[in-house]
Amino acid sequence: MLSVEELHKVYDGKRRRVEAIGDLTFEVAEGSFVCVVGPSGCGKTTLLRCIAGLLPPTSGEVTVDGTKVSGPPEGLAVVFQEYGRSLFPWLTVADNVDLPLRAAGTARDGRRTLVGEALDAVGLADAHQAYPWQLSGGMQQRVAIARAIAYQPRVLLMDEPFAAVDAQTRADLEDLIRDVWQRLGVTLLFVTHDIDEAVYLGERVIMLSASPTHVAEDLVIDLPADRDQLSTRGDARFTELRGRVYAQIQKAKQEGKTR
Amino acid sequence: MTGVLRRTGIALALPVVLVAVWWFASAGSTDFYFPPLRTIVEVFPETWFGPRLVDDVLPSLGRLAVGYLAALVLGVGLGMLIGSNRALRALVEPLLEFLRAVPPPVLVPILVLIAGIGNTMKVLVIISGCLWPVLLNTVEGVRAVDEVLADTCRTYRIRGRLRWWHLVLRSASPQIVTGARQALSVGIILMVISEMFAASSGLGYTVIQFKDGFQIPQMWSGVILLGLLGVLLSVLFRLAEHRVLGWYHGSRAVAKER
Repeated sequence: MLSVEELHKVYDGKRRRVEAIGDLTFEVAEGSFVCVVGPSGCGKTTLLRCIAGLLPPTSGEVTVDGTKVSGPPEGLAVVFQEYGRSLFPWLTVADNVDLPLRAAGTARDGRRTLVGEALDAVGLADAHQAYPWQLSGGMQQRVAIARAIAYQPRVLLMDEPFAAVDAQTRADLEDLIRDVWQRLGVTLLFVTHDIDEAVYLGERVIMLSASPTHVAEDLVIDLPADRDQLSTRGDARFTELRGRVYAQIQKAKQEGKTR
Repeated sequence: MTGVLRRTGIALALPVVLVAVWWFASAGSTDFYFPPLRTIVEVFPETWFGPRLVDDVLPSLGRLAVGYLAALVLGVGLGMLIGSNRALRALVEPLLEFLRAVPPPVLVPILVLIAGIGNTMKVLVIISGCLWPVLLNTVEGVRAVDEVLADTCRTYRIRGRLRWWHLVLRSASPQIVTGARQALSVGIILMVISEMFAASSGLGYTVIQFKDGFQIPQMWSGVILLGLLGVLLSVLFRLAEHRVLGWYHGSRAVAKER
């Protein structure tokens, strides 16, 4: 469904050349939930922007549904970390969710239904006419998620979407995302720096090395599909997997320092 | 409601005091050039609410409206084009800086030669002054479009007309309003100035006529009328701004609280 092949990205600055991504190759199967973790500064956001078609890679390629990505591909939605900046402050919550559908030329009735359902799904059924800045950070990110849901993407990319919300809101949003993924059957690539979050959410966790980035380890998360903040996180297997990812990230950090 | 009354009271306090001071200080004035305020107020209605309202005041305001609105449309349109195109911006920016630095009143003689002494010339004078603050502020506003929001538009394939309106124009709107406010005061000044040269009607023309005819109280009443029109226009501007930038002031107030 989504494949990254020998992706390489270099930022050519005036004084120095930064090799953000060394050589990345991996595939994401249709309908799967894959988390990408790595030490800070390892090029996670660069990777996501290359997949989203917002940034051209230096070499290598990304294909979505068999088509090479050369600009933002159709049927792909992104939830950005900076929820406050990715919503239109001059549009109401409902209009924010509606705008991509208008751009796609969806008929008015269909749009109304999609917007209503998406806002219901994220628990914002009574916030249609509010403006984003009248809502808390967690609720703003819900709006951004609702916008992605209503767009009915086949691939959903999330770039550390919960990094800027408080811990309780974060747990709620994690469960919301699992729920959305299970219901929509969307292919989900979730970038995070939080190891617990990656293990709790994903079916698979791809660990990245320090930059220049390559895949350090690709781990299947064999936890039951029904996850729960209390019992899953208390599961011995969860602890084991978490320990494994943690060790790998530590190793990557050390390697990054000695280089 | 009491808040509104209070604010209105505070806003009016100083003008009321100053008018009172003027009223009493000038009450016994025998100076020909500084008549008592009472005399000025007495001649005001007969001077302005007669045929002059239709012959002079309304044509002046009409020219201001046409010139100002044309400058807004032109300035915002060109500003969006220039602001979103780096090469074009680099090319025209020095020229714009030069044109902005030319005081519009010196264009009056040139425009008289080109466009004669009719309405066209006066509207062109107003446009030539109002355009620059709108244009330059629009360019700045368009340059400041948020990157994340621009990326959002790209991923959700929001393009063309929707993008111009919902991303570019709305992002730039606080800056555009700033430019439009500057342009309004420039416009009022130029409305008067354009009527002081080679004109046969209008507020500026009439004030000059009164001066030349030594009708000093009438001349003063014209100055007061211009001041009152300025206040009225700025109140209207505020109402419009409130509608256009409600989101902006709201989000700023929230950001301050947090």
